[in-house]
Amino acid sequence: MRFQHHQAVLDARPDVPWMEVHTENYMGGGAAIRCLEAIRRDIPISLHGVGLSLGSAEGLDQAHLDRIRQVAERIEPDLMSEHIAWSVSGGTYLADLLPLPMTEEALAVVCRHVDQVQSTLGRRILVENPSTYMQFRHSTIPEWEFMAAVAAHTSCGILCDVNNIHVSAKNHRWDPLAYLAALPPDAIGEIHLAGHSVRQLADGGTLRIDDHASRVIGEVWSLYETALRRFGPVPTLIEWDQNVPPLDVLVEEAHHANVLMDVAGDEVRRADAA
Amino acid sequence: MPTLLEIQTAMRRNLLDNGDPTVAASLDDEFAPADRLSIYRNTSRTALTKALSLNFPAVQRLVGENFFAAAADTFITRVPPHTAWLDLYGEGFSEFLQSFEPARALLYLPDVARLEHAISRALHALDVKPLEYSQLLDVEPSLQGRLCFAPHPSVSLVFSLYPVDAIWRAVLARDDAALAAIDLSAGSVWLLVERYDSEIKITQMGERQRKFAEALFAGQSLSAALAAADDPDAPAWLAAHLTAGHFTDFALSNSERPVAAEHLQ
Repeated sequence: MRFQHHQAVLDARPDVPWMEVHTENYMGGGAAIRCLEAIRRDIPISLHGVGLSLGSAEGLDQAHLDRIRQVAERIEPDLMSEHIAWSVSGGTYLADLLPLPMTEEALAVVCRHVDQVQSTLGRRILVENPSTYMQFRHSTIPEWEFMAAVAAHTSCGILCDVNNIHVSAKNHRWDPLAYLAALPPDAIGEIHLAGHSVRQLADGGTLRIDDHASRVIGEVWSLYETALRRFGPVPTLIEWDQNVPPLDVLVEEAHHANVLMDVAGDEVRRADAA
Repeated sequence: MPTLLEIQTAMRRNLLDNGDPTVAASLDDEFAPADRLSIYRNTSRTALTKALSLNFPAVQRLVGENFFAAAADTFITRVPPHTAWLDLYGEGFSEFLQSFEPARALLYLPDVARLEHAISRALHALDVKPLEYSQLLDVEPSLQGRLCFAPHPSVSLVFSLYPVDAIWRAVLARDDAALAAIDLSAGSVWLLVERYDSEIKITQMGERQRKFAEALFAGQSLSAALAAADDPDAPAWLAAHLTAGHFTDFALSNSERPVAAEHLQ
């Protein structure tokens, strides 16, 4: 949900089970957080952070972590999440989710920071797998193992972004099914879906870019079905925060995910009964 | 093998000034690393330019999207944000525009930027409970001159040689007739910018009112502020400040000399 939807949400009370917002959009006082408090009375909220920079070698920005804690105290979210990425260097915020080398050093940094965040907030957070456009030569850990290791070491959950898996798998020639199979089902607390674009490069190659600017494509819906079969009916969010369409288009996409989730729920219940 | 800190420092240089070969040399990818780095650089620039355009909508309309993007690009390189809370990003944008050669012709542009930054501060200031008039009733009349106040974080004063409040309103209303009718030589203005009931309120102040408010917002004692204002209406102005919730706290200075505002926090 973005600012332009505040009034529509307050007026229409759309039939959605929960909503997600960027934590960074509610760090001040005034109208924005007051609207979110009003919405929160009827609809559970997930706080999704984009600026904490869990992978920064220089350590976390304590002031930013404190602001996140203050938003959480007012909103009492059902879920809180951040990214396996970094965005702060030399005290400068670079405004993008930048890729980490997949090394033991980076794993230790991320785990230390997830521990710090969870103890400051007094709760479990989810960490999201990134979409990436480059790989480092000195990486030694496959990304899916890195994700599983962070969850195992810190007891945090995983926000599984199925579109990001598709994007990165295409960009780096990974097997998206092997990625899903490596993630621990018990840790999966939320799923993201989104649209992406395909960019032609000067040398003739292509690169998929996660841009949250269009509908979810068929291949990603089908990877999502595989994810639901493995993880069960996990709360799912469709990210669409560029070229944002009217609220009814967003609600229509969300209903599509609900249909697939109902199917997965039935399958899990049938499996449990058998 | 570069350390994480080295990679991140090099990546920052790539995103801010295109300078460091370390990242490109560390990549394990087929095609030109520059292509991949440029994706991250573009995303970063786009996000920060968007943040500036949200925080300075009137400046953007005055100069147009392309000019604004070019100015923002230079500003981002020189003054990147220090926090992911971008609602207040752009402190210093006014000073930057003042020295930005292509913007020189639009004399009032830096002042519009300063007004818009004050508006951002007002919009996004933390919710702090204002000081109630009743909290002052216990202060003995003989000590009232030593009262010092902490200003509410949403309140600030903006000075301009031009009628920037009228310019700002006309630009955001897309009212070209009103903009054309503004007399740039009408004289300077002092503006009180605040958030009032979730809305932005901008009030022009007379010279003495401004001196009084400026002294009080700087944490000077009431008697010092009264002396600065030198106006029989000043006590009524104090009541109006209190009613409007412009202060969050008070203290008594040891003397009637000014105390620094931070002593009141």
